[in-house]
Amino acid sequence: MRKLLACLALLIVVAGIFSGCWSRKEMSELAIVLGAGVDRTPDGQVRLTLQLARTGALAGGGEGGGGRGATTWVVSGTGSTILDAQRKLAERISRHINWTHNVVYIFGEEAARHGIRQYTNYYSRSPQPREITWVLVAKGEAKDILETISQLENTSAQDIGYLARAKTGFSINFKDFKVMLATKGSNPIASRVEIVERGVTLGPEKEKSVVHKGAALTGTAVFREEKLVGWLDESETRGLLWLRGEILKGVITLSSPTEPGKEISVEIMRGHTEVEPYYDGESVWFVVKIVVEGDLLEQQSSEDITERDVRKAIEEEMAREVEEKARLALDKAQGEYGVDIFGFGMAFHRKYPREWAELEDRWDEVFAGAYVDFVLESHLRRSGLLGKRGSVRE
Amino acid sequence: MLEGGKIDSKQAILLMVAMVLPTAFLSVAAVTASLAKQDGWISILLATLGALLIAWLAVSLGLRFPEKTLFQFPEVILGKWPGKVVAFLYIWWYIHLNVEVLRQYGSFLVAAFMPETPISVFMLLIMAIAAYAVRNGLEVYSRVNELILPLILVSVVILNILAAPEMSMKRLLPVFEHGAVPIIKGAVMPTAWMGEIVTMAVLIPYLNKAKEAYRIAITATLIAGFFMLITQLADVAIFGPVTAAWLFPGLDAARVIHLANFLERLEPVVMVIWVAGVMIKISVFYWAAALGSAQWLELKDYKPLVLPVGVIIYALSIMAHDSLLDLFAFLGMFWGPYALTLFIVGMPLLLLVVAVIRGQGGSRH
Repeated sequence: MRKLLACLALLIVVAGIFSGCWSRKEMSELAIVLGAGVDRTPDGQVRLTLQLARTGALAGGGEGGGGRGATTWVVSGTGSTILDAQRKLAERISRHINWTHNVVYIFGEEAARHGIRQYTNYYSRSPQPREITWVLVAKGEAKDILETISQLENTSAQDIGYLARAKTGFSINFKDFKVMLATKGSNPIASRVEIVERGVTLGPEKEKSVVHKGAALTGTAVFREEKLVGWLDESETRGLLWLRGEILKGVITLSSPTEPGKEISVEIMRGHTEVEPYYDGESVWFVVKIVVEGDLLEQQSSEDITERDVRKAIEEEMAREVEEKARLALDKAQGEYGVDIFGFGMAFHRKYPREWAELEDRWDEVFAGAYVDFVLESHLRRSGLLGKRGSVRE
Repeated sequence: MLEGGKIDSKQAILLMVAMVLPTAFLSVAAVTASLAKQDGWISILLATLGALLIAWLAVSLGLRFPEKTLFQFPEVILGKWPGKVVAFLYIWWYIHLNVEVLRQYGSFLVAAFMPETPISVFMLLIMAIAAYAVRNGLEVYSRVNELILPLILVSVVILNILAAPEMSMKRLLPVFEHGAVPIIKGAVMPTAWMGEIVTMAVLIPYLNKAKEAYRIAITATLIAGFFMLITQLADVAIFGPVTAAWLFPGLDAARVIHLANFLERLEPVVMVIWVAGVMIKISVFYWAAALGSAQWLELKDYKPLVLPVGVIIYALSIMAHDSLLDLFAFLGMFWGPYALTLFIVGMPLLLLVVAVIRGQGGSRH
């Protein structure tokens, strides 16, 4: 009997202790951040913009119950640090601000130009945000980017996140961005995000159609050390990806070797890049070897690609096209900005660790004056389902 | 005998691994990377080599007195009072070690997972469980460890495999950039970690096959060294120059895992490794401190001492440091030289040399 009573008492105590957690927060008490933007105000303050998920609207039964209402709520607050700004925002948000599901960090152009390092610390010191959040730089203000809506995804932050993840241009996560900031002889780069016309949303009648403006990735932001110095556009970004050896997918379009004015498109299937630095005690030069493999998937012209010579000509044309793109990015980085954004410095560091010690502090200068030689190797592996064209009269 | 339990060789190996690995997994990479940069993995290899020597030292010493523990044979070797002093210092060391481990345990949980919970709550709970384990004896927590440690090791491997897409082996180059000195400095702390294998000198009387002690100590050190090595390589390949800035790079390596937009945020796995592993680690040192105290006082049973020793450890741990940074500065600057020179290498070497000169004890085989 006594044992039974003791057990009962123990059960009651245990039930009391284990019924809940010390600082639990229910879903309905959280303001979930999906995108965070940092702008610098003219007086040097931080303006933090948060895109919050309206969880009720996101979870709602969908089309059935009429309009779902807006899926996001965007709030901005100013403070001297990010945490300070967030604290002030908390006075206007009825729930706990929760960073664990954040998808993108967007830095405004002004903030990036003044030096980005001062705005990154909170994101890695606090345990809530993820290290794999995408980092982007807005052309203009970060606030405007977060205030757009997406037609295809639930929220524009997720939309931007999916665009970054698709890796059609250059995109980088927070962890790798920090590694770039911490590495001597490399300069950080991040995707550029900008508001553009993205499509038309159709109304019931044609007149009511709305041209939809949305955020899209339009190239790359280039930093010197920690300060934004300029941009690369989409086609220069292709060159950047070739030079960094990060090409994953894409298309090379080249002019037909036999019929002027007609084009051929090759889908890139595989590619890789090796950068070999050389140093003779005075000057530094690089040999960049790029290998590209692709499938020919569209042909405006009508040459017979089953012939070996024609394929050879196309392969040469592919190589020329890739080199041209790479040169475009290289010239801009060496000439206009004078910064090494391709990791050439790291390649040099790996090969010449001793010589690196003398050069690391003026690496960008050395890089800007370095001669770069390209060696290209291109292969046309397949041609879709057709050999020669089917719609051509013999 | 005070402790009636006997464990077999496999249990002993697992126990010695669990005694070293849990805390090392979380922060070893930051310690070595801050000194040896990308060459930290060489530091680990060096430390493993050092720990093998230490393991040989501890086992050679222990096997001379297969019926006695580290708290008893100094008396035989050095005479009653000097021997008592050495044994007392070892009791203190096991208490001190546990004070730091316990504090680290609580600090990590508060810093990374539950910032609003008082650190004393975590520390009290784990001490209560450890006290229960120690009261039940060596055999019981060795068996618990047989279940826990394989899960920990498998989790560490899986976490590192899942984080592989974020790794770039180029971050480990160039090798040997800053020469040998930083690498040796970086090896001090991991050697102190793996050097905890001196606990073999306490464990030998409770092995059911004492003559396998060499094999046990060497296998355990190699396993611990191997897991420290892969953790080190993985963390530096993920974070490069940022590694040294993290307090817990093992946690942050799990935080970068993302697979197919679906498998993300695996920090709780790290938390499980930490809580389960540190529970065993604390139990081993707690048991050694309680058993040692009983043997030192020549009591018939160590169980009455479990509570007092626990209270001392808990209270000292609360008082030891006033911040997490203080704790890390203490461990980074002071702990390695302190533990290595006195308890891990210094005194065992002295004891062994004296024992050999005086011809005391003898190997059984």
